[in-house]
Amino acid sequence: MRVPGRVYADDKLMEHIREERALDQVANVAHLPGIVGASLAMPDIHWGYGFPIGGVAATDPAKDGVVSPGGVGYDINCGVRLVASSMTRSEVEPRIRELVNALFHDVPCGVGSHGAIGKLARKDLDAVLQRGSTWAVERGFGRPGDLERTVEGGRLESADPSKVGERAVERGRDQVGTLGSGNHFMELDVVDEVYDESAAAAFGLRTEGVVLQIHSGSRGLGYQVCDDYLEIMQGAVSKYGIALPDRQLACAPVESREGHDYLAAMACAANYAWANRQVMMALAARSISGVMRKSQEELGLRLVYDVCHNIAKLERHEVGGRERLLCVHRKGATRAFPAGHRDVPAAYRGVGQPVLVPGDMGRCSYVCVGTETAMKDTFGSSCHGAGRLMSRRKARKAAHGRKLAEEMAARGVYVMATGKGTLAEEMPSAYKDVADVVGVTERAGIARRVARLRPLGVIKG
Amino acid sequence: MAVRPVYTEIDHTADVGIELTAPSLTAALETAAAAMFDMMCRLDLVEGGWRRTLTVEAREGDRENLLVRWLSELLFIHHTEHVLLSRFEVASVERERLVAVVEGERIDPARHRVGLEIKAPTYHGLLIAETPDGWSVRVIFDT
Repeated sequence: MRVPGRVYADDKLMEHIREERALDQVANVAHLPGIVGASLAMPDIHWGYGFPIGGVAATDPAKDGVVSPGGVGYDINCGVRLVASSMTRSEVEPRIRELVNALFHDVPCGVGSHGAIGKLARKDLDAVLQRGSTWAVERGFGRPGDLERTVEGGRLESADPSKVGERAVERGRDQVGTLGSGNHFMELDVVDEVYDESAAAAFGLRTEGVVLQIHSGSRGLGYQVCDDYLEIMQGAVSKYGIALPDRQLACAPVESREGHDYLAAMACAANYAWANRQVMMALAARSISGVMRKSQEELGLRLVYDVCHNIAKLERHEVGGRERLLCVHRKGATRAFPAGHRDVPAAYRGVGQPVLVPGDMGRCSYVCVGTETAMKDTFGSSCHGAGRLMSRRKARKAAHGRKLAEEMAARGVYVMATGKGTLAEEMPSAYKDVADVVGVTERAGIARRVARLRPLGVIKG
Repeated sequence: MAVRPVYTEIDHTADVGIELTAPSLTAALETAAAAMFDMMCRLDLVEGGWRRTLTVEAREGDRENLLVRWLSELLFIHHTEHVLLSRFEVASVERERLVAVVEGERIDPARHRVGLEIKAPTYHGLLIAETPDGWSVRVIFDT
């Protein structure tokens, strides 16, 4: 280990963390060349592959620091988008079934979902890879104002489509605007508690107001980019003489041909993911507008923020009293920049960057805000979700014989999923209580609670 | 109708994994492929009819790499051709170059409930090794 590991948890969360191999993975990440400070794990840490989920690692390119595709994951720029509205719970609740059914119909979801906007020609796909959310807005999906409310403006300029392989391109051509499956979801929630009035007001959130959350990523294109570059990195590891405890951590110096190529391809996949969520938001807005028989303007639908939680980015951070350019890997962790930071959109600069922390489909989710402590202690990072408690197999077993959709309805949550298996695997008790995760996050000071969201209607892929 | 393979599903918190044994390297590769598809959709629900011969090349002397490349290739076919594969015949493996014939059918939502999206096989905890009784395989997938 080149640096220590640091895990944010309390006794309750630690109990589960010790049961699995997540701590070994924190230790393994500490072996990465050029790693700075510590191998970090956010309070929602759980056992992943290579990096733990909830892992954060910053490396210094000036000191042979590496970039590792496994530190980003297969679903590059998997993230969450929060859309506010002027609708209230009393307007939406009576029509929740209609709304969920319409969204389920209009936004393709499920395993291998495709065909939201047809199959793109190669030159159009290249434009998606280069321009991200901008591409979507230019084609009428959403509004220009959405761009400033997306991390990086929904576009990483370092994207170079020539670094993305043919196979990734092939997988990406018909999946823009699709949700996917697994833990990806689309959800209508009500703001049921506000903790920070001024931040909530800045984000446009008010008690009893209805919001939409979208959780998805770069679909097959991102998975293939990761797969292709892991292969390249297997060669780089021997070329640069890097010793690693786990092959999944395969990496190359940021300042190497392999490092540059990966970051250029990863940026393409990140842009694809932003375009994907931008298109889905527009499809969802049309859908909601159709059911409520009001225009999107009348419904007050507008993007609050879009965060990514699987990415590696070159960012400036102060280390040892000096500003350094670092490659920050966030694998199941959210950027959490404080008030006043230049990368926080002007509208939120007085309060800080929104940090979106979705929970399971039955309990709640949180909107938090970034802090100075996060900037100092975790390279401006925080948690990203509840974190699984049960394996998918255990969850299916535990759900056997239960009528989950009916149980959810009894809790006041209307759920639609493409498969019964998904409902079982995603049932609330399969996850840690996100309130515990956010509680530790707030006590550690790496994000602050702004509002709590309670689900009304959920779509699972 | 294909026969379901014999394998154990690993309890991995976030993802899924498989463990299996086989009498030979080719059988190990075939069973790993069948197990991966069986987790997505029970193989006894998948007919044949769609066939392809394919070649997979990996780093010489690196069997783990061969296993990952083989499973990745099959996933790529699954995702781009929208097929479920159910029969796998590895004709030869020489110096980490594999030739195989695979068979399956196009996904029919009326008959196939594909309940799991596998993003990729990972190197984490990966095992493909000869034992006194044959071959052992373990793969953890990102899902």
